Amino acid sequence: MSRRLLALIGAAVVMVIMALVALPRLRPGPAADGKGPAPGTAWGEPDLQGIWTADGEIPLQRPAKYADREFFTDEERAELDKQRAEAIGREADESRRTRGSEQDVGGAYNAAIFTTHKRMGRRTSMVVDPPNGRIPPLTPEAQKKRAAMREYQLALLQSTDLCKNKLPGCEGGTYGPPSPKRNEAPPYYVTVGAAGGGGAGGGAINRANNPEDRGLGERCMAAVLPDFGGNTGFYLQVVQSPGRVAIFYDTGQGQGWQRVIPVTDAPHLPSNVRQWWGDSRGRWDGKTLVVDVTNFSPKSYFQGAQENLHLVERWTRLDANTIEYAVTIEDPTTWTGPWTVKQAFSRQSDEANRIYKEPRCHEGNYGMPALLAGARAQDRAFAEKRGPDPAKECTAGCGGFALGFADTGEDANPLSR
Amino acid sequence: MRHVRSSIVTVAIVSAAVSAVISVSVTRTAGQASRPARTADGKPNFSGIWQAANEANWDLQAHDARPGAVMQAGVYPYEYARVPAAPVLALGAAGGVPGSVGVVQGDGQIPYTPDAAKIKQENGEHWIDRDPELKCYLPGIPRAMYMPYPFEIVQSTNKIQMAYEFTSTARTIHLDKVDPPPDDTYMGHSVARWDGDTLVVDVSHFNGKNWFDRAGNFHSDALHLVERFTPITPDAINYEVTIEDPKTFTRPWKIAMPLYRRLEPNAQLLEYRCIEFVEEFMYGNLRKQQLVQRWEGDTIVVDITRKVPQGDKLHDWYRR
Repeated sequence: MSRRLLALIGAAVVMVIMALVALPRLRPGPAADGKGPAPGTAWGEPDLQGIWTADGEIPLQRPAKYADREFFTDEERAELDKQRAEAIGREADESRRTRGSEQDVGGAYNAAIFTTHKRMGRRTSMVVDPPNGRIPPLTPEAQKKRAAMREYQLALLQSTDLCKNKLPGCEGGTYGPPSPKRNEAPPYYVTVGAAGGGGAGGGAINRANNPEDRGLGERCMAAVLPDFGGNTGFYLQVVQSPGRVAIFYDTGQGQGWQRVIPVTDAPHLPSNVRQWWGDSRGRWDGKTLVVDVTNFSPKSYFQGAQENLHLVERWTRLDANTIEYAVTIEDPTTWTGPWTVKQAFSRQSDEANRIYKEPRCHEGNYGMPALLAGARAQDRAFAEKRGPDPAKECTAGCGGFALGFADTGEDANPLSR
Repeated sequence: MRHVRSSIVTVAIVSAAVSAVISVSVTRTAGQASRPARTADGKPNFSGIWQAANEANWDLQAHDARPGAVMQAGVYPYEYARVPAAPVLALGAAGGVPGSVGVVQGDGQIPYTPDAAKIKQENGEHWIDRDPELKCYLPGIPRAMYMPYPFEIVQSTNKIQMAYEFTSTARTIHLDKVDPPPDDTYMGHSVARWDGDTLVVDVSHFNGKNWFDRAGNFHSDALHLVERFTPITPDAINYEVTIEDPKTFTRPWKIAMPLYRRLEPNAQLLEYRCIEFVEEFMYGNLRKQQLVQRWEGDTIVVDITRKVPQGDKLHDWYRR
């Protein structure tokens, strides 16, 4: 029964995502009729205005099999689109899971709902520098932080079936009695829910003692800078006035936010003022808006970087329909070198206005109190000898949804096979 | 030393009260003086950072100052002799509410239907349980315009973006043709035209979940606004709103107030990402280990410890 319900929910989610992706195509704007030169504003500055999105699916880092190639061939793109369409349409393979097991529940979503439905783009990676299309290695300092976080994650998993049965989610850990670390604070501020990237904050922890134990996505605070759209895509609305560039990020399924970039040579905020999305300072370099972003909060997280993240963004209107976005990302405490990502954004219809400016994830976040209340009910049941020890249950970081996806082979996103 | 029973809302009220104290510098700088009064297309130039400097977010209507944002019966049985209640008691004079001559035009009355008037009354009595502002929900229009936080207008030719510091939200005002939104909204759907030097904005498609103020004034999903933005000087806007909602009010009514330009040379919108700030307020009872002292059922009881008097030398001298 629960499987059927989950399938229904999954189908509904897929339909919503498909609708989101399909909508702008139903109503091509006037700009889609033909390319023109990059326009300027009435007051003589380059014009970045309009609703924009990244059309093509491009992996952030280049998959190993395309190691020496910057672009896919047209045949490869067609084949990848075909494989993806098949993976999205297929029921998750039941043979690898025991129905009702933790792995089944944890992996109840198959890869389909988090596989983008966009067509493949031309590039083999968004990372254009270094030339290998890969994010530079973590510094020893960041690796140490990551290891400490992983050790904590494993301590919270060590008495679950995940470690007892030596499943992939327990990699690096061993089975044992509940760890006293369950009662300690995580070594670093928990940020992303999934397996996590590098650095300190990455990774779900198998605990729901507090809202802060959960990832920023579950807390409705997933939006980060830089934002490349993620699996569900995004829309940006740019509105300008002399000396200001406002960008609304419709991102993270209702976790959007408004950014206003002052175009000024004024210095950044005092270094003690820290923000989730940093502090932006823009300047025009010919046709290009160059934005320097610093002052990130230690609670913010991007691929392992926190308060020392420094971005230099370059926004260029190439023609009527296209913005090229390039961002150079550096943090000497996180990566051994800077890296650069490039994306192309295409113009969407102003009239159709298919952008969601109501970031109301928080207003509808019944999930958070329900999840915490469920955990407290488990605690009580255990205390009254009615239920199992919560330390032996796996509810986050178990594999499946919470640790990549259980799906492999033909069910997986072809780019990660 | 004395223990005071309080509720979990203390933190929210502290932050709200502190934010209510706003400062608007009147120092002009060369940078601001050079701001043109009109845009390239000849319209009044509303671009910049603005803020209301009034008490409308406490109560749109005229009201006395009172000693506490939350009150309880005092030694007298009279309404006017009530005293601060636990959630704000520890804040002393910072926990009170400033008085106001009100922003409701005409007779100063809000023309509720009899049923709606009852709801408004109850809303006021249960403010800390019901006001969406305290939960960091999207503030809605017009409330976002006069909350004690700055907002920024980015005025282009066909679109005017209004960016609000409170919870980093926004609305787009469409001067060009645009399809209606696919669903009802907290922040409204804003379409506008110029009437001479006045920007006239028609706002509709509300979901009816917002309030006007902390006094419990509210509306339904039938809310329809006509906002009028008229320059008074380059640094002040007359903001007037006609409010219509046949499910809640017996006739349209109006509020009006000036909006003031923030003239600090380094003024910029910062983040007030209150989703994080309200987690304790909203989910604190569900922590494994409570940060508050105790809870009775689903009612949280916070013990506040403070010294009376607060380390004041004169008081200490008398206490010897």
